[in-house]
Amino acid sequence: MVGRAADVCSGLSSGRVHWPGVTGAGEENGPPAAERGPSTDALGAAAPGAATAAEGSDQPIVSARDLRRRFGEGEAAVDALAGVTVAFPQGRFAAIMGPSGSGKSTLMHLLAGLDRPTSGTVTLAGQELTKLDDRALTQLRRDRVGFIFQTFNLLPVLNAEENILLPLSIAGRDVDRAWFEQLVDTVGIRDRLSHRPAELSGGQQQRVAVARALISRPAVVFADEPSGNLDSKSSDDVLLLLRHAVDDFSQTVVMVTHDAHAASFADRLLLLADGRIVHDGEGPRNAEQALDLMKAIG
Amino acid sequence: MGKLVLRGFAQRKVRVALTGIAIALGVALMAGTYILTDTINNAFAEVFGNAYENKAVVVTQKETLGRGTASEVSPLNEATLARVRRVPGVAAASGGVSSNASLLTTSGKRLTTGQAPGLVNAEQPPRFEAFTAAEGHLPSANDQVAIDQATAKRDHLKLGQRIVIAGKAPARTYTLVGIDKFAGSESFGGASVALLVPGEAQYVAGEPGEYDSIYVAANPGVSPQQLASSVRAALPSTLTVRTGAQEAANQTSELEEKLGFLRTFLLVFAYVALFVGAFIIFNTFSITVAQRTREFGLLRTLGCSRGQIMRSVVEEGLLLGTGGAVAGLFAGIGLAPALDGLFKVLGADLPDNGTVLETRTVVVSLAAGILVTVLAGFFPALRATRVPPVAAMREGVAIPPPPLPTRRTLIVRFVLGLVVILALGRIVGQGVGAVLVVLWVARAIRLGVRLRREGERPPRHYRVIPALGRTIGLMVSWRGVTGRLARENSVRQPGRTLVTALALTVGLGLVAFISVLAAGTKATIDQAVSRSFAGSLIIDNTQSNGEGGIPAALAPAVRRVPGVGAVTAVAFTQGRVRDLAKPGAPVIDEKSRVTALEPKSLVKMYKVEWERGSRATLESLGPEGTVISKKFASAHHVEVGQRLSVLTPSSHQVTLRVVGIVKEEVLGLMSNVTILRSLARAAFGQRQDGVDFVTYAPGANTAEARRGIDALLRRDFPQAHSQTAAEYTKEQSGKVNTLLVLVYVLLALSVIVSLFGIVNTLVLSIYERTHELGMMRAIGASRRQIRQMIRYESLITGLIGGVLGLVIGVLGAVLVTTLLLAGSGYVLSIPVGTLILLLIAAAVVGLLAAQLPARRAAKLDVLGALASE
Repeated sequence: MVGRAADVCSGLSSGRVHWPGVTGAGEENGPPAAERGPSTDALGAAAPGAATAAEGSDQPIVSARDLRRRFGEGEAAVDALAGVTVAFPQGRFAAIMGPSGSGKSTLMHLLAGLDRPTSGTVTLAGQELTKLDDRALTQLRRDRVGFIFQTFNLLPVLNAEENILLPLSIAGRDVDRAWFEQLVDTVGIRDRLSHRPAELSGGQQQRVAVARALISRPAVVFADEPSGNLDSKSSDDVLLLLRHAVDDFSQTVVMVTHDAHAASFADRLLLLADGRIVHDGEGPRNAEQALDLMKAIG
Repeated sequence: MGKLVLRGFAQRKVRVALTGIAIALGVALMAGTYILTDTINNAFAEVFGNAYENKAVVVTQKETLGRGTASEVSPLNEATLARVRRVPGVAAASGGVSSNASLLTTSGKRLTTGQAPGLVNAEQPPRFEAFTAAEGHLPSANDQVAIDQATAKRDHLKLGQRIVIAGKAPARTYTLVGIDKFAGSESFGGASVALLVPGEAQYVAGEPGEYDSIYVAANPGVSPQQLASSVRAALPSTLTVRTGAQEAANQTSELEEKLGFLRTFLLVFAYVALFVGAFIIFNTFSITVAQRTREFGLLRTLGCSRGQIMRSVVEEGLLLGTGGAVAGLFAGIGLAPALDGLFKVLGADLPDNGTVLETRTVVVSLAAGILVTVLAGFFPALRATRVPPVAAMREGVAIPPPPLPTRRTLIVRFVLGLVVILALGRIVGQGVGAVLVVLWVARAIRLGVRLRREGERPPRHYRVIPALGRTIGLMVSWRGVTGRLARENSVRQPGRTLVTALALTVGLGLVAFISVLAAGTKATIDQAVSRSFAGSLIIDNTQSNGEGGIPAALAPAVRRVPGVGAVTAVAFTQGRVRDLAKPGAPVIDEKSRVTALEPKSLVKMYKVEWERGSRATLESLGPEGTVISKKFASAHHVEVGQRLSVLTPSSHQVTLRVVGIVKEEVLGLMSNVTILRSLARAAFGQRQDGVDFVTYAPGANTAEARRGIDALLRRDFPQAHSQTAAEYTKEQSGKVNTLLVLVYVLLALSVIVSLFGIVNTLVLSIYERTHELGMMRAIGASRRQIRQMIRYESLITGLIGGVLGLVIGVLGAVLVTTLLLAGSGYVLSIPVGTLILLLIAAAVVGLLAAQLPARRAAKLDVLGALASE
């Protein structure tokens, strides 16, 4: 189904276009999305019928402008994000790394509409999240966003198939059977469909979670430490799946991780420290490179 | 450790409050019951104390058969009065009359309400009179009446108004000349009292020239005790002589005995509520112990002993129980008037002056609340002690099961259980006992087989609950994913769901049980009336519960109405029965109900089913003969031809020969012992009848005859009414329904307690599932969907409780009626409509319980929920 990680990475690296670093706080906004390179040219063609095709490749799927998030008040106030401007084009796999407390999770929560910024704006699939009320945000998450969590977060009372279909059930939408079948084969859990989470291994659970994230053909999938609770083999399986989703289905994936190895699967690496983006560049070729970058920012 | 308990409480306010309420409600009913009955007792003690304050000695007839069995014909008369007056030391003596009577307005409206009696009293000379006029004056002529202030206020009586009084003679109309107070208070303990001049009071009481009591005043220097003994010496032993104080105490304790029934009745519901509360406490503690496994593990790691863990949980129970019980006690003080109000609404006006809070009430209520809480929390506490220290380090360490019971403990348990069942069987009945023994032995065998096969404690699988939950869940699964999830969630922890639902099951099961019994009773009456009654009309007192019978003069009066063919009167009295066939003639029934009837006319209107004998047996019943019931005959081994001796309320001894045995009759017309009405009047001091049966003359215009009868009743006997068999049946159903309403209202308290239990379980399980709910919200479930899911879940839990309650209640009722009432002619009837309503009630309880938890769950902050661990 998918090759070894190294093969995928090296194969992709040729098609990757470097774009100028996106600025941190206080700097000018980054170049328009169109200038960031037709990153999906090579991959987008391989994804006929991708849900996100309509959005086009010139517009970023998710973008944030001067995003700030402050927790607490007065003396105890902490700026988790101190002005972040960033854009994620379609069909790319971005990894956000950073030490604990760097604000990487906060950034993801804001991008996904799970939290509201203190100031700044987030635009997802053409909608400005800060202008949406809870109901509209819920609906947006339901229809346009996929989530993968560190702790899998499957519902224990539902079997694998029902868990995969949960977003559609919640939305009351019909199931695209062909897409479902394709996903099931891709994540490789066809023989486990009628099992409940308790009867699945961690890797299998996370693969079910990946299928659940993709079932509604979301504009973007946010993955929060997807490999954090897995052994190395299962971890690679899941990361390759995400890589595959980007390559074959032109899915946009934003992943938060502090695992350098996991980051090496991405096309692009963002490093955060103290609430600011300190590095934005090509995905690391391997874990060592990612670690070096981390060390460099201290 | 104590500090930890308090901190824990502060953190779990909602749970503590909900669990506290579960205990408080039961305690409130308990305290309320004590307060109410104490208050009533106190009110009466005061009333009686005042009534006899100015009476040194009181002479009454001896109640041969025990309390409340006075003969209707009093042995006290003018001659007795004259004899008392001649006793040395007597300053004055006066005859008192006090009789039940119906007081009505001229339009026929009763002045009494429900159970509170209407009384007629004879006016006394000033030195004995306890009544004082508040308005107008006390009666001074035959056609004058004075009424107590409470009644006058309630019915807006005005001086000069006409009042109809119907006692044991045809009704008479009097002019209201006075509104009086009784010993300074507005009413005579809730009863309506009409004060008449002595002659009129005797007329109403149906006893011209007779007195119910003789009041005696002492000369200066003569103590009541001295006077009592000299009066006693001068009178025959068939009379009772007491000092005024003794008489007051006697009447008070007689009333307390009667109220004892009310107290027990109400306390039963308090115990049920406490029992349900125990379920909830058990469940709550079990869940929190499970949730705090890690905390207990940590405490154990830090060096806490098992005993300390145990103590901390038990202390929590103690604190909770104390809080709940104290809250309940205060609520009980508020509830007592509400209970009183409930009885008023249902037609039982009980007197009350002020609230009486006795030490006993406080002690018993607090003790009950605390004990129940601590006991229910004990088993979860035991579980907490088994948490291994490693639980602090690792996630998901299960609490190990208790050690295996040894063969010996199992055998000991089996034998102990058997003993309890056998004892229970003796009390409840052999049939029930046998069934329980079979079940118990079956369980023991099953347990033994499993132990041998698996070599371990049988796992506690609640297979029924998941199946039941899923089936009920089908109802909501069409609602899409929320319904589907609710269905699964409701049976996720079958044990927890079971205990939560069982709390509701207890209340609803009892309601189902009672409603089936009541429906059966109604059906039984219905069938019995249509099977046995062959007459046209039944005449009885419209308030047969409160005031009893109808005047004996009624039957002859109705007989004279044109169009009436025959009238037969049935009276009820009592007697102490001895079996003369056995050596020493032992008493076989201390206080047996005795039916007195007129056989020749009765057999034409009432069909009797015979075990031994026939219609001719009854027709030829003579004054020395008696017909007994089958139950009485078999219980005391009495045969036809055997002779019985009966001591009557008027202290006569009559000898009767058994001539026939009748089958059980549900209407209870034929009691244990049935005799001639003429004998009852001659030897039992029986004056009133219980019921009259009427048949129209052949070919008579029945409508006209009925009009004639009703006109007669309105004019002379306004306390009575005529009913066809259908009307009578309907009225009986109405009485059953009134009682049902009372029982339902009282059981509602238990249902409310279980509602709090559902709320509690939901809140706790939502807390456990915070993470899961956060994920659902993150991937797009709306707040509404979360709310819906929790509501459905609660609905399913409620319905599980409802269905179980229904099944247990109906099965229990069927079992009880077939085992205990076998052969009594009881007709089983399942009130389908009521049972459906019950299920709806269970659903409503579920939905109501979900309101707060559902809102809480929907309000969860997505990020916070996701971050929670």
